Amino acid sequence: MIKYIVRRLIGAIPVLIGLSIILFAFVHLLPGDPATAILGQHATPERVAKMRAYLGLDLPLWQQYLMYVGGILQGDFGSSVINNQPLLKELMTRFPATIELTLGAMIYAAGVGIPLGRYAARHAQGWSDGAVTVISLVGISIPVFVLGLTLQYIFAVQLDVLPAAGRIDPRANLQIQSNFILIDSLLMGRPDLFIDGISHLILPAIALGSIPLAIIARITRASVLDVSNEDHVRTARAKGLTERRVDGRHIMRNAWLPVVTVLGIQVGGLLAGAVITETVFAWGGVGRFVVEAINNRDYLVVQNTILIFALVFLAVNLIVDILYAFLNPRIRYA
Amino acid sequence: MVRYRLLAAGAIVAIVAAACGQGASPAPATQAPASEAPATQAPASEAPATQAPAETPVAGTPKEGGTFVVAIPGDLNRTDPALVDDANSTYVLSQVLETLVTLKPGTGGEIVPALAESWSISPDGLQYTFKIRQGVKFHDGTDLDAAAVKTNFDRWMTIPQAYVDLGYTYYIDTVITPAVKSVEAPDPTTVVVTLNDANSAFLIQMTLTPFAISSPKALVDGDASAPDFANNKYATGGPPAAVGTGPFTFKSWVPGTEVVLVKNPGYWNAAAGGPYLDQVTFKPITDSTATLNAIQAGEVDLVQAISPVDLATVQSDANLQAIDRGGSCNVGLLAMQSSKPPFDNLKIRQAVAAAVNRQALVDAFFGGAGVVPTTWSPPGTAYAKDVAFPAYDPEAAKQLIAESGVTDLSFDFWYPSDVTRAYMPDPKGEFEAILRDLEAVGFKPNPKTAPWRPDYLAAESTGEYPMWLIGWNCDWLGIDNFLYTAWFGYRGDPYGPNPEFSYKNDAANQAMLDALKATDPAGQEAAWGTALDLVTADMPALPIASAKTPGAAAAYVKGLIPSPTLLEIFQGVWLDK
Repeated sequence: MIKYIVRRLIGAIPVLIGLSIILFAFVHLLPGDPATAILGQHATPERVAKMRAYLGLDLPLWQQYLMYVGGILQGDFGSSVINNQPLLKELMTRFPATIELTLGAMIYAAGVGIPLGRYAARHAQGWSDGAVTVISLVGISIPVFVLGLTLQYIFAVQLDVLPAAGRIDPRANLQIQSNFILIDSLLMGRPDLFIDGISHLILPAIALGSIPLAIIARITRASVLDVSNEDHVRTARAKGLTERRVDGRHIMRNAWLPVVTVLGIQVGGLLAGAVITETVFAWGGVGRFVVEAINNRDYLVVQNTILIFALVFLAVNLIVDILYAFLNPRIRYA
Repeated sequence: MVRYRLLAAGAIVAIVAAACGQGASPAPATQAPASEAPATQAPASEAPATQAPAETPVAGTPKEGGTFVVAIPGDLNRTDPALVDDANSTYVLSQVLETLVTLKPGTGGEIVPALAESWSISPDGLQYTFKIRQGVKFHDGTDLDAAAVKTNFDRWMTIPQAYVDLGYTYYIDTVITPAVKSVEAPDPTTVVVTLNDANSAFLIQMTLTPFAISSPKALVDGDASAPDFANNKYATGGPPAAVGTGPFTFKSWVPGTEVVLVKNPGYWNAAAGGPYLDQVTFKPITDSTATLNAIQAGEVDLVQAISPVDLATVQSDANLQAIDRGGSCNVGLLAMQSSKPPFDNLKIRQAVAAAVNRQALVDAFFGGAGVVPTTWSPPGTAYAKDVAFPAYDPEAAKQLIAESGVTDLSFDFWYPSDVTRAYMPDPKGEFEAILRDLEAVGFKPNPKTAPWRPDYLAAESTGEYPMWLIGWNCDWLGIDNFLYTAWFGYRGDPYGPNPEFSYKNDAANQAMLDALKATDPAGQEAAWGTALDLVTADMPALPIASAKTPGAAAAYVKGLIPSPTLLEIFQGVWLDK
């Protein structure tokens, strides 16, 4: 197992190198000069030259790349142009918000998507199966920002049952400590604020989780159907096992594998979707931070935050692959 | 125009204090505040009725308490007023820190006392003597005195080069560095600022929030001049950060999530009424539809800026009130490059001005929030007399083209993508309308477009475009900020025309310099009049529109005084619920 993990980690290195080159190229292929963009229209040439030096843009391209990679290897992800704070420090204050949001979305997507898929598989070809298929297609095709704004309008403006934006009622005077608002509220011994935090989480989690939900439901349905038709399931039924036992022990155990895989892959989609969801719901997480960095032409922040997103994605997928071993002992990591 | 700057400043308090006999005596007339316009010039406070800010009626007795939640379109950038130049940061920080002089609430250019209870200007216009108000304490309990003010000026004048290189010091670079020679504090209540040259814009520049006075103790404790900005606590959220004298004190900033201010119970000007609110929370909401949803759902009490297209929704909602800021502080231009054909020909530039139906543009694209400028700055700007722009007259335009002798009427006409500005809400739509107007009189423009940042701005600022759409969000509401600073003042080394327009008229430039150096209102009025006439005769560009920034508030929000320049202090705000 350890051997496997080490091999996977080594395997991730070329991926990261490739990604760093792509991201580096992305910044340098963009038309125009970041220094001019940051300083504005009336900046003198001297000021622009200094900003270029600060950003390292005056060096040869290969040297810039080596410095960039060298910095990352030493744990230096650079600083934001806006307040010159180390990027990692900036991200640390914002990651808790994104983690709360993506976890909420994942719980929603898996918690609804998996039962929906199982239900559809059990009633395959019936009208309820067709309904699930339609729901999935709709979920996949509505853009996150449209869904988010529509949910806001229906549930916050018209029905007034859920909050429209933000992470906590600003009138509640929660002293934000860790920026894990749900944890902070519990630490303060304020279950009312915890519930307020949850109510703020519902709409963004639904908006962000709808596409993964649709995909998870589809994959679960297909996987369950696939396993259901296998010999061992027929044997189990022939043995006279209850349907419940057949389902739990013989079908789902095997059907989990593709579902877990897709859960891991969806983390990438959630991180990407968080950029839009956080903008629509005024959610002060990493996604919003990236949007603001793009608006501020804070290229290094954009470049390295995406790199960190990729690291998270790779780590989650490694964990998913390790989970395989527990779900299916036949898979050997030798 | 690259950064969205605004004119903003300290407190609304001083004029109210004067009215309440708090010793805030406005400067005597003989002191002739530099930017105060003669009555005939209709300063912003006496602007025409259509420009009068719609003051929220203060009905009933103000109620104490409550949290006031304000949606701003973007996050705070830094917590040191001296190191910000964007509208979001100054909107927040102007609640906390105050300037020596400020603007009368609701006006764009009427200067009134704040932390300085009075001021005088030497006859040669070089020395400004401020009398510092006594008995005022900073939020950290230290006293405001002349030495504290001098400490702030000294810091601005010696701001670390690293901050300049990072691009954090726009206002210091623009206002302090070129102008201020020295600052003395001869006694605890007197500050004398000596300028290199007489500068009639200096006083209104001192109303800008970046020149708000911070507690010297907090500047030291917060390492506000740390050579490496990363170690500067004062500008990055503290503690301590943003320690001033205003009606609210800075409590916390969770980047991307909220800025929290709380009531300053010891506010020096409480006798003027307020502060009533216990807490003010600013929430950055970038998406305009999400902002509208948030105020309709009752989660925010005030939206600093709404999209003009949402104005009708707000007006039709009984739970909301639209915030009409009366005037504006921006001008959109149809710009022409005087060094490139065919715009090197005066008659062609005049023909363009006559060919474009500006009123139709404003009617079509500004949703009732725009006006056609009658001069080179927004309505109500002091010393900016109305000028005679060519009237819309396609026949006259054709005539001018014929007289010009120019036969090749083709040129590239540029508009930006990925941007909207108050003065340019729909660049493509406006471009197409102007294009039709120009083609109707025989011009042959080639449509061109580029992304606003960085391509478009980089190209237009260096004079690459023959014709293009551009504009200016003011730093302060003064004719100098538009005509001289933004557009047509000479600059650079070698000193000469701004390459953006290549507009060369030594007499006009000299008139602008004379106006800035004039120490008396009559002299300023005459010199600006000359400059405006000379520039208008040359038509280096055509002002298209000035546009207000509409806002929205819950119906129970009382006591807010809307400001054309977004200097809106919440001292008098209370919640009627």
